[in-house]
Amino acid sequence: MSSPDAPPLPNDTGPRLTRVFLNSRREAIVIFGSWFVALCWSVPYCYINGYGHQIDPETMNTTLGIPSWLFGGILLPWIAADLFTTWVCFFFMKDDDLGTAGDEEVHGEPVAVAGAEGGAA
Amino acid sequence: MNGLQLNLLAATDSGSAVLWTFLIYMIGVFLIAGLSNRLLQNRNFLSEYFLGSRGLGVWAFALTLAATSSSGGSFMGFPSKIYTHGWSLGLWIGSYMVVPICVMGLLGKRINEVARTAQAITIPDVLRDRFRSITFGLISVSLIVFFMTFNLIAQFKGGSTILKTLLGPIDAFTSSAASLPDWIGSLCSQGNEYLLCLVVFGVAVIVYTTYGGFHAVVWTDVMQGVVMVIGVIIMLPLAISQAGAVAKTDKGAGLEQVTRAMARMVPPRKGTATITAAQAGADVTVPSGSWIFVGEGDSQRLFKIKNRYDLTGSESRFEAAEIWEIVTPADIQQVRRRLESGSEPSNVTGQIKLEIEELKDYAYGATPEQAGSYVSGPGPSREKVDGFLPLSLAISFFFMWAISGTGQPSNMVRLMAFKDTITLRRSIFTVAMYYSAIYFPLVIIFCCARVLMPGMESEPDRIMPQMAVELTSNIGMGWLAGLLIAAPFAAVMSTVDSFLLMISSALVRDIYQRNINPEAEEKKIKTLSYVITMVAGLGALFGAMNPPEFLQDIIVYTGSGLAACFLAAVVYALYWPRSNAQGCIAAMVSGFAAHLSLYLVGFFQGNGFSPYRPFSIDPIIIGLAASFVVGYVATILTPPPPQDLVEKYFHEAS
Repeated sequence: MSSPDAPPLPNDTGPRLTRVFLNSRREAIVIFGSWFVALCWSVPYCYINGYGHQIDPETMNTTLGIPSWLFGGILLPWIAADLFTTWVCFFFMKDDDLGTAGDEEVHGEPVAVAGAEGGAA
Repeated sequence: MNGLQLNLLAATDSGSAVLWTFLIYMIGVFLIAGLSNRLLQNRNFLSEYFLGSRGLGVWAFALTLAATSSSGGSFMGFPSKIYTHGWSLGLWIGSYMVVPICVMGLLGKRINEVARTAQAITIPDVLRDRFRSITFGLISVSLIVFFMTFNLIAQFKGGSTILKTLLGPIDAFTSSAASLPDWIGSLCSQGNEYLLCLVVFGVAVIVYTTYGGFHAVVWTDVMQGVVMVIGVIIMLPLAISQAGAVAKTDKGAGLEQVTRAMARMVPPRKGTATITAAQAGADVTVPSGSWIFVGEGDSQRLFKIKNRYDLTGSESRFEAAEIWEIVTPADIQQVRRRLESGSEPSNVTGQIKLEIEELKDYAYGATPEQAGSYVSGPGPSREKVDGFLPLSLAISFFFMWAISGTGQPSNMVRLMAFKDTITLRRSIFTVAMYYSAIYFPLVIIFCCARVLMPGMESEPDRIMPQMAVELTSNIGMGWLAGLLIAAPFAAVMSTVDSFLLMISSALVRDIYQRNINPEAEEKKIKTLSYVITMVAGLGALFGAMNPPEFLQDIIVYTGSGLAACFLAAVVYALYWPRSNAQGCIAAMVSGFAAHLSLYLVGFFQGNGFSPYRPFSIDPIIIGLAASFVVGYVATILTPPPPQDLVEKYFHEAS
């Protein structure tokens, strides 16, 4: 599992961290960030626009039949989250060799390397 | 026979369509188990039985994870909450927009690699080998068995209840249940029909899980996942068109009409009343869910009587009968229409007298200042004066679904089973689309149910099957109800089989093979795996005969408790080279203790199984925070791990 593009440890000429570890950590940080952004958008947006208001059925705002506070706070970011997930899955996540355990069935196809589906090395 | 059952009979011609759907479904499950058992031949038994030989492809991996996460709660508890609290459930479930990418992406690639490096088959295996600590392995096994056993009993009860709803209208079933000998019926506190369903459900799940192992669980999950999404896709347009036609407000069309009708709704009042026959001495049967109009003209009021009462000469008066008063004019009109069309079979107006003892408004949502509570936050609540979903709880649920889901061992073990990273990437995408197709549409469907079927607050857990029957019978396709009702049944099955396998893998692999008899022959391991899986299942089945109180709370406790125990420990183990056994054990134990202590405080305060929430913060957040902080502090205060372990799991081979 040698990797020419894995960055060396600071002040270290010794062993390098595995590429799977480095890629996984980088991807985990981005994914955790997406959860945090979703939290920071959805909860305040819904709270500010949808909580504690007296509702007049005739004049209340709806979008596609859904209360507008829920459309902007949940449905719209949900669509954005799906687009983000698509980008992460097909353009951001790297394909890595996860190794082989002694007990597993042997798969015929070789494991694709980074960039196979858009992932930049 | 209650209203739902009568409806089912009418909707499915003879009720046999439901039975046929169920039988075809079960035959499919057993065929899959048979095929899976063939895969066990000529492979490493333990790896294949508990982990599918680490060879899951996209559809299998994606749908097994999605179906396992969607327990019966998704198709029973969630719809009942939507019906009861309205559109605010959209925010309650909102973090599902990032659940797939969090649950699969945060740990997936790395845990799969570490499991392969360690040759691990279970989560305790991973932790034990990652730190070369037998103690760590045993602690994690103990926690998994502790939490999963409670959860399994609760899920068995859920499965039996759903099956009872499914088979209830069928004469052969009710007569079979009634003919059970008394001594068998006395074993169970929930009645003969429940017991029969429990045995059918339990034996079916135990047999196919025991016989087929991991692959049977995975492929039945795939089938169950497909059933679930088809159910939702069929129900969505039917619900919008039918509820829109009923709502008929001045503005908009379809769903907009539904939302505006909901904005006019006022929560019903719950109370008690004394019931007597209108004519002294007359025998009157009041079926459960009966409606009664009281008064005349503009002052006429509408009540629903929750339970069944048989008024006879010797027993002509019942006190403290649970009643619900419908107060929204449009809802009263809809009930009137349904009674006229026969959709609501029981109108006891004129047959009995109702003397109201007590009536209570909702704690939030009933006053004019809180008008429109079904279409705004925090949503109506019968008990809580700050509403169903106050801000602090909304934040907690963002943690609950995405972060707590990541910390579930049942999800982690699936992350050890996918074939390669291409499978992982495509599966995350697939599950994201799958959840998008299920969860928000469910909110829409059961908001429509509020307009179509007023008064279901008295038995909200029945809203899913009732809605399935309503929608399909309105279009003359009652047989479809069988398929739609199979969705929640499938959801419970797919959760139960996974938990069952987790318990048996913990006992066979982590306790017996790794600690008692490491040299055990494969034949012996195989026999033991079958026996333990069956015994664990039968144990849960017997436990569910007399289930404890607070089952739904127990499910929440076990789910959040597992995350509080495992998430920090696994994150440190995977991503922090400096982490050591002492630190990760401290993280696990402190998460368990902090989480449990809040439940104990709540219990001693007299709240039953509801936890104490300091500053309205949910125990999951406090448990996770304690686990991460204590784990970090304990790690840096103790010696670093052996260098060879760091090199094995973090460094390139030189």
